[in-house]
Amino acid sequence: MTTASTSTRADVVAAISAPTGAPPGPDASPDRRTRLTAVLLRQDVVLLGVLVAMVLFFTALNPLFFSTSALANVLQDWAPIMLLGIGQTYVIVTAGIDLSVGSTLGLSGVSAALVIRSMTQSGTSPAMAIVTGVAVALAVGLAMGLLNALLVVRVRLVPFVATLATMGIGAGLTLVVTNGVQIAGGPREVITIGSTRFLSVLTAPLLVVLLVLAVAWVVLGMTRFGRWTYAIGSNSFAARGAGIGVSRHLVKVYALSGVLAALAGLFVYFRLGSGSPTSGQGLELPAIAAAVIGGTSLFGGSGRMSGTVLGALITTAVLSGLILIGVAPYWQQVVVGALIAAAVGLQQVSAVRARNGAGHG
Amino acid sequence: MAEQTLYEARGISKSYGSVVALEGVSLAVHAGEIVGLVGDNGAGKSTLVKVLSGAHAPDSGTLLLDGTERTWRSPHDALSAGIETLYQDSGLCPDLTVSGNVFLGRERLRRGLLGRLGFLDNAAMEREARENLEQAGIGFAGVRRTVNQFSGGQRQAVAIGRAVSWARKVIILDEPTNHLGARQSAEVLHVMERARERGLGVVFISHTLPHVLQVTDRVVVLRLGRVVADRPTSTFTPDSLLKVITGLEQAEPAA
Repeated sequence: MTTASTSTRADVVAAISAPTGAPPGPDASPDRRTRLTAVLLRQDVVLLGVLVAMVLFFTALNPLFFSTSALANVLQDWAPIMLLGIGQTYVIVTAGIDLSVGSTLGLSGVSAALVIRSMTQSGTSPAMAIVTGVAVALAVGLAMGLLNALLVVRVRLVPFVATLATMGIGAGLTLVVTNGVQIAGGPREVITIGSTRFLSVLTAPLLVVLLVLAVAWVVLGMTRFGRWTYAIGSNSFAARGAGIGVSRHLVKVYALSGVLAALAGLFVYFRLGSGSPTSGQGLELPAIAAAVIGGTSLFGGSGRMSGTVLGALITTAVLSGLILIGVAPYWQQVVVGALIAAAVGLQQVSAVRARNGAGHG
Repeated sequence: MAEQTLYEARGISKSYGSVVALEGVSLAVHAGEIVGLVGDNGAGKSTLVKVLSGAHAPDSGTLLLDGTERTWRSPHDALSAGIETLYQDSGLCPDLTVSGNVFLGRERLRRGLLGRLGFLDNAAMEREARENLEQAGIGFAGVRRTVNQFSGGQRQAVAIGRAVSWARKVIILDEPTNHLGARQSAEVLHVMERARERGLGVVFISHTLPHVLQVTDRVVVLRLGRVVADRPTSTFTPDSLLKVITGLEQAEPAA
């Protein structure tokens, strides 16, 4: 291998780094890293600021908002939105969307409730029944995710249409299997698992959610699976050209979203102790809100799990806070919808500003 | 040519239905040589690129790499044989870093258990990406920055740098200077010269005849699916090359 003559390389270096205004040379990299970190930090700091402002606002109007019992409730409301938000982040980073997560949550929740109730009624031990019910619910979630993947990858429907269809299918099936009535009458172990608190605010299901969140966070940020998720959303043509199995990867991502929605369904089921056919209705809205408020771009290719965590907390805080200050619950969807519009609007504005700011190319 | 023939297409024909795109086309590239491939729109350049890169199989004719006959079932076959192709629209992921793009689909994993779990070795990829790009003549392009922070010319330089750094034998560049300014085009041409210095065979497809005349050793002219000229670049003037391309001047048969 020959090495470049100093003069030609200097020319190229100058040409390449000139428009960005950064000093050339290998020493520039640590500086760039800190700058990048600073930008990321700033986004999360802004979100954190919004969250704190909301807590202060609601506490000022109703001091109960800032109490251990309120925090415990907020965390219980946060967990299912967080689980759906994790799946949504992965899917949206691939430039897709999953509208079916609320329906999957409902369908898997009532599936678990039906299985567990009928097994305990026919004399199976509660432990065995619960394990089976959990497995069935996860299988239902996986099936819904694979159905989405089939429609997106094989039938080549745009994700919006594919998951709109499965959202209807899931919601309808939930009503079919329940006849539209609550599935109560399971073993009391269910509610015991779901509501036994330790350290004031934690429950076993909540610990599972935190564990899942930690794994999903690391996988998105540090592994090849995560890298390919970003690559596909950024430019699926380039990803395919680089030898990445794009279809295969998308199947995994939609399956993941389905399974996480099933976990959320189980969380709600253990919390209530019964399966509600309406528990998932409209939940795709706060899930998408969590991701986009957290900075995940609906165009794909960018998004961070830290943002989604904060986005889910902000969404939950707003919903809980509105109730505590006495706003009628009917306003909830109005507010979440407005939050999504505001977050996406802000993204658009800053994207335009960044493009204009670049001023070249 | 004294050098060894590296990659050769012999008597390639390709039709799409009743449309004959290529008819008995031959093209050879030697190690350390830049071959210009020119022709008017519809002359068959894109089809030939697809055949050379393994994206399309020819109806007849043979491909020889290092004198051995080869058949590509997919672009992946050609890639693993050391033939990199850069298509017109650069295949970069704008949201990934430069090093992420250089290693796209070829990610380095950490050693041991973490590697088996799919953990990326970003430090190693950044180090190698910087070395590879410097070797390709891109110099320092800020391997930790995302590609969407770069201008069009810089992106193209990164895309070419990636292709050059992975190419072990041949690199095919389809309109790499399209939509680029003068200075950015100069960068791209420089990178091609560096690839030649490293002993790669370069196939350079372009409509920009001054670039072709500036950097190539030999020019192959396609017209209506046939090779109408294959001569050293020094035998062309801008005017005569244009006439051969458009058919205003009858060129002598391919040498």
